[in-house]
Amino acid sequence: MNLTELLDKAAGQWPQKAALIAGDDVVSYAGLVEKAARLAAQLQSFQLTGRRVGLLYPNSIDYVALTFALWRINAVVVPIPMECTVGEISDLAATMQLEMILSQKPIGESVALSSESFLTRLTPAVPPDNHGLNLAFIRFTSGTTSARKGVALTHETIRDRVAAANAALRITSADTIMWCLPMAHHFLITIVLYLSQGATVVLTRLLLAKAFLETVNLRRGTILYAAPFHYALLARDNSELRLDSVRLAVSTTCALPLDLAEEFHKRFDLPLAQALGIIELGLVSLNTDDPRGRRNSVGRPLAAHRVKILSPDENGCGEVAVSGPGFFDAYVAPWIPRETCAPDGWFTTGDIGRLDADGFLFLISRKTAVINLAGRKVFPEEIEAVLNRHPAVRESRVYARTHPHLGEVVEADIVLAQPDAELDAIRAFCRAQLADYKIPTKLNCVSALPRTAVTGKIRRVTPVA
Amino acid sequence: MIPTQEIENQLQKFLQREVFAPEVAVTPETDLVAAGFDSMSLVRTLVFIETTYGLWIPESEITGDALRNLRALATTVSRLLNARVK
Repeated sequence: MNLTELLDKAAGQWPQKAALIAGDDVVSYAGLVEKAARLAAQLQSFQLTGRRVGLLYPNSIDYVALTFALWRINAVVVPIPMECTVGEISDLAATMQLEMILSQKPIGESVALSSESFLTRLTPAVPPDNHGLNLAFIRFTSGTTSARKGVALTHETIRDRVAAANAALRITSADTIMWCLPMAHHFLITIVLYLSQGATVVLTRLLLAKAFLETVNLRRGTILYAAPFHYALLARDNSELRLDSVRLAVSTTCALPLDLAEEFHKRFDLPLAQALGIIELGLVSLNTDDPRGRRNSVGRPLAAHRVKILSPDENGCGEVAVSGPGFFDAYVAPWIPRETCAPDGWFTTGDIGRLDADGFLFLISRKTAVINLAGRKVFPEEIEAVLNRHPAVRESRVYARTHPHLGEVVEADIVLAQPDAELDAIRAFCRAQLADYKIPTKLNCVSALPRTAVTGKIRRVTPVA
Repeated sequence: MIPTQEIENQLQKFLQREVFAPEVAVTPETDLVAAGFDSMSLVRTLVFIETTYGLWIPESEITGDALRNLRALATTVSRLLNARVK
């Protein structure tokens, strides 16, 4: 099976329908298939079957066409977020054993494919082993310090999770999706799903609420899929513009504050449906059943999914485990097949939650130290490793501080080795090595870090109020 | 009261250091959106303003006028800080 079949099928059914719209550029389904086929022919000679190719592109028609082109020649797509620094890109390329990077701008020893397309050949130290799987996609999840650095998915797995997600989202060719999240972070149960159903995807941005609302009205958008911060911008917009064409507004990536859910609903007479999506399983739940009454629930599990609470306490709260179609195939670097990490078919999410009597899932907190800044995951150990390399820093501890508008922000306690050190210089040092959203909002100078009594390890706190 | 000029200088330093790529020279007149300012840049800038001045800019103030350039953003921060003093 190859995911290009999904696009080909849609193109067979709706050849002239707009698949993607970006500003004044419109590409039809037939046009998108043709563009992907042309790019595939261009890349064919590089013999990329089973090889891993990094894609360093902003949201664009080209991003989508290149992904399907790479799938057409059986290459494995590894998205590289645009905010990555040069160091992070080399780290990702080495860890994921990339054979090539396709980018919109030249990087290193790039060769131009066109004026907006560059190719960089790499020679992985060891050729990648996909363990006989029909891999389509690897999501790089974290930097050097995590034991699990990437999640690998086959064409079949993605097909299954797309089908499962659409049982809840019910996307059809009558839908127009207003797209504003980065494709490097969201692509499979979104863009691939929409294009498999003949929907139209409008690539836009949500920075200025009024401009976004005007675009929704111009395009008669039916689906919004965005993060709580985006919905805050919309809910507090001062114009009279409405969202009357929208049938479903999904809130994803981090917890939706209750007052924001109410404010948005009041402003547009449209409830926000919270969703729980995880890279290991795809879309697990979506609150379309009771988004008005149970605003802080991520909904019931999808029809094909099951959720259970492990070792619940007296309030029914415990770690959330999920099971269902589209289960990831393996972790990468090191390679751990799903049979090893989830032999019983259940994935433990690290989230603490509870199920109510009607089967609605509520997320309460989490077990891990991962910080969620407006939907971007930040791994404290990765930031600490950078801070600790600065000569003025003796040691550091990075943690989440709860924030009334954003949920969480990143902060760090540092013990200085040089008391007169300039904090701005330490921040600049972080910026040179880390994607911008990972830089701590605040560096707090402390004289010592709390340690656990037994092991002497730095004590983790999650999160600080 | 913090002079608008000082807010502008601090915002310029922050945006240059932590938001824009080093090759983008941020000036008070730089069109932020055209230079690549996105919603994550906005999140980080709002948190910087909050940490530095103790002011969370309400989302209703995030308009095309306020984000026209760095100077306009500094003027917005200054206006909101002054309104709070009164």
